[in-house]
Amino acid sequence: MGDSQYSFSLTTFSPSGKLVQIEHALMAVGSGQTSLGIKAANGVVIATEKKLPSILVDETSVQKIQLLTTDIGVVYSGMGPDSRVLVRKSRKQAQQYFRLYRESIPVTQLVRETATVMQEFTQSGGVRPFGVSLLVAGYDDNGPQLFQVDPSGSYFSWKASAMGKNVSNAKTFLEKRYTDDMELDDAVHTAILTLKEGFEGQISSKNIEIGIIGTDRNFRVLTPAEIDDYLAEVE
Amino acid sequence: MMRIDTSGLDPFAPFTSASGDVYGDVLSVPSFELPRTTDFDGFQKKSVQMVKPAKGTTTLAFIFKDGVIVAADSRASMGGYICMSIVYLFFLHRTMIAGWDETGPGLYYVDSEGGRLKGKRFSVGSGSPYAYGVLDDGYRYNMSVEEAGELGRRAIYHATFRDAASGGVASVYHVGPNGWQKLSGDDVGDLHYKYYPVIAAPVEQEMSEAPSA
Amino acid sequence: MSIFEYNGSAVVAMVGKNCFAIASDRRLGVNLQTIATDFQRIHKIHPKLYIGLSGLATDVQTLSQKLAFRHKLYVLREERDMRPETFASLVSALLYEKRFGPYLCMPVIAGLGDDNVPFICTMDCLGAKELAKDFVVSGTASESLYGACESMFKADMEPDELFETISQALLASVDRDCLSGWGGHVLLVTPTEVHEKTLKGRMD
Repeated sequence: MGDSQYSFSLTTFSPSGKLVQIEHALMAVGSGQTSLGIKAANGVVIATEKKLPSILVDETSVQKIQLLTTDIGVVYSGMGPDSRVLVRKSRKQAQQYFRLYRESIPVTQLVRETATVMQEFTQSGGVRPFGVSLLVAGYDDNGPQLFQVDPSGSYFSWKASAMGKNVSNAKTFLEKRYTDDMELDDAVHTAILTLKEGFEGQISSKNIEIGIIGTDRNFRVLTPAEIDDYLAEVE
Repeated sequence: MMRIDTSGLDPFAPFTSASGDVYGDVLSVPSFELPRTTDFDGFQKKSVQMVKPAKGTTTLAFIFKDGVIVAADSRASMGGYICMSIVYLFFLHRTMIAGWDETGPGLYYVDSEGGRLKGKRFSVGSGSPYAYGVLDDGYRYNMSVEEAGELGRRAIYHATFRDAASGGVASVYHVGPNGWQKLSGDDVGDLHYKYYPVIAAPVEQEMSEAPSA
Repeated sequence: MSIFEYNGSAVVAMVGKNCFAIASDRRLGVNLQTIATDFQRIHKIHPKLYIGLSGLATDVQTLSQKLAFRHKLYVLREERDMRPETFASLVSALLYEKRFGPYLCMPVIAGLGDDNVPFICTMDCLGAKELAKDFVVSGTASESLYGACESMFKADMEPDELFETISQALLASVDRDCLSGWGGHVLLVTPTEVHEKTLKGRMD
C-alpha cells in the first residue's frame, strides 16, 4: 500500500460512495465532550463540558472556548489539538479580511473560510480530516449568529445545536426548551440545564465553560465566578 | 570685427591673405565673424530666443493670388498651465516674413539657425503639423480672399483642437497690395460648435406599448 | 514630463445634502496631442458608488476592470454591495500591493453609504487614503480645481445647485489646463436617482 501510486490520499471513496475517513472523524467528534450553543434574541451563548483526565490538572490552564475575533467565539467537540490548527487558520483569515477591507469579518464569511479549510483536508494528499466539529458564535450587522461546522466541511446556521457525546439527548432537550424570543440570560440558563442533563458527576464552574456575545458585539468567556452565579440561579 | 580662423580645420584650403580688398570675402582664409560682445554665450542664447518659434502656439501664413493670409491662435502656456487665454499674436510672426513687392506676394520662413526658405505656405509652433494637414488639403493659389480666410481659420481651429498647447482665439489677417487688414477673430470654443453642431442623438429604439394579445 | 501627465486628466467629487456629484473631463491625449474626446474616467461600482481615476489611461482601464471584478466577487460571496468605506480600503490595499511598481493613477471615490450618508475620498497612486467632507480633486488640472472648488463650494447644497457648482468648477478649471478638458462628464447621485450628463465644453 505504501508504495502504491494511489496511497497519496487517505480519503478515498469506498465502492458504496462513502468517504469512510470522514465518518471516522465524525465518530471522533461523537465521542468527544459535549458542546452546545443557543442563539437568543439579543445574543448567542456557547457552552461545553471541560472534563479533565485527572484532578491534578490545573483547570485554569485549559481554555476550550476561544476567540477568533473580538466579536466571534468558537468551541469544539472532538480532538483538542486539531481545533488549535483551525483556530489559528481562522484567526489569520479574519485578520486578512480586516487588512483588506478595514472592517471586521462577518460571521458567515469566517465560517465559510474555516469550512473551506476543513473541506480541503478531506481532498488533499498527505493529510487527514479534522477530528473536530465547531460551534461558531458571533454578532454582526445581520444580528446574532450561530454556526456548526463539521469535519466534512459542511456548515449550517442553527437556532440551537449540540455535538459530542450526548448530542441526541442534548438536542432533544434544546428542542423542548428553545423559544424564538429567548433573552441571552435565559439562553445561558438553558445551556447550563442542557449540559447538566447528561452530565456525569457534579457540574461546577471548574468543569464547564461558557462564552457569550450580546448586543455590545464583544465575545467573552465567562469567569468561574460568573458561572457560579448562573449555576446558583438555575438551582 | 573679430574673426575666428577655421583654416586649420581644412588642410586643403588655399592660403590667401586676409586683407580687406574687394575679393577679401571670396579669397580670404575660411572664417566667420564673431559678434562684438564680452558675453558670447549670453548673446547666442538671446539671439536664438529672438527667432525661435514660440512653443505652445500655432501660426500659419500662405500666399495666394490676392495676397497673403496670416492666421494664429492666442494661447500662451507655461508647461501645462494656460497663462493667457486671449493674446493677440503679432500678425507677422517672428519666423515668417510675408509681404508684397513688384513680383507679387512673397513668403519666407526663417529658422533659428539662420535657414531661410521661400514658399507658398508655412506654419510654425506646436500645433503646426495639424495646421499643415488642413492647409495642404485645402490650398489653391486661385482662392478668393473669403475662401483663403476661411482656410486659415479652419486650419487654426483644427490645430487648437488637436494640440493641447494651442487654443483661445483664431485670428485671421489678410495682407494685400495696399496693406494689412484683420478678417476675423473667433473664439475657437464657439468655432468648434459652429463647425460641428451638436446633433441630438437619435433614439435607437422607441419604447412603445406592447400590442395587447 | 511626469507619467501622470502623459494623457491629461481632471477628476472632482463634491458632497451635497444627502447626495454627491462626481465629474471628470473627457480628453485622452498623448502629451500635447489630443487623441480622443470621449474617454471614460468615472466608473460605476454599483448604483451608489463610483470611482474616478486620473492619471495614466492604460492603468485607469486596467484598475477599473480589476475593481469591477473584485466587487462582483464580493457581491457573490457576501450577498451585498460594498459600502463606500469598505471599497476605499480595498482600493487602497490593491494599490499598495503594487508599492514598487504602482498603477500610475490617483483614485477619487464617491458613494452613498448606509442611511444615504455621502462619502468621498481620494488617494495617491500607492493607496494613501485622504478623506474629505467637502470636495476632492485629482489630475493634471488639480491645482485649478482646488482653486475653483475652494471658492465655489458651499456646504449642504441641494442636488440641483450641486450639479451646477461641480459643472462650473470643472469647466472653469480645465480652461486653465492644457492637458485636460474637451468636454465634461458629470454624475449626480441622490438616494433615489442618478443623473448623468455630458457637458459641452471648449474643445481647445
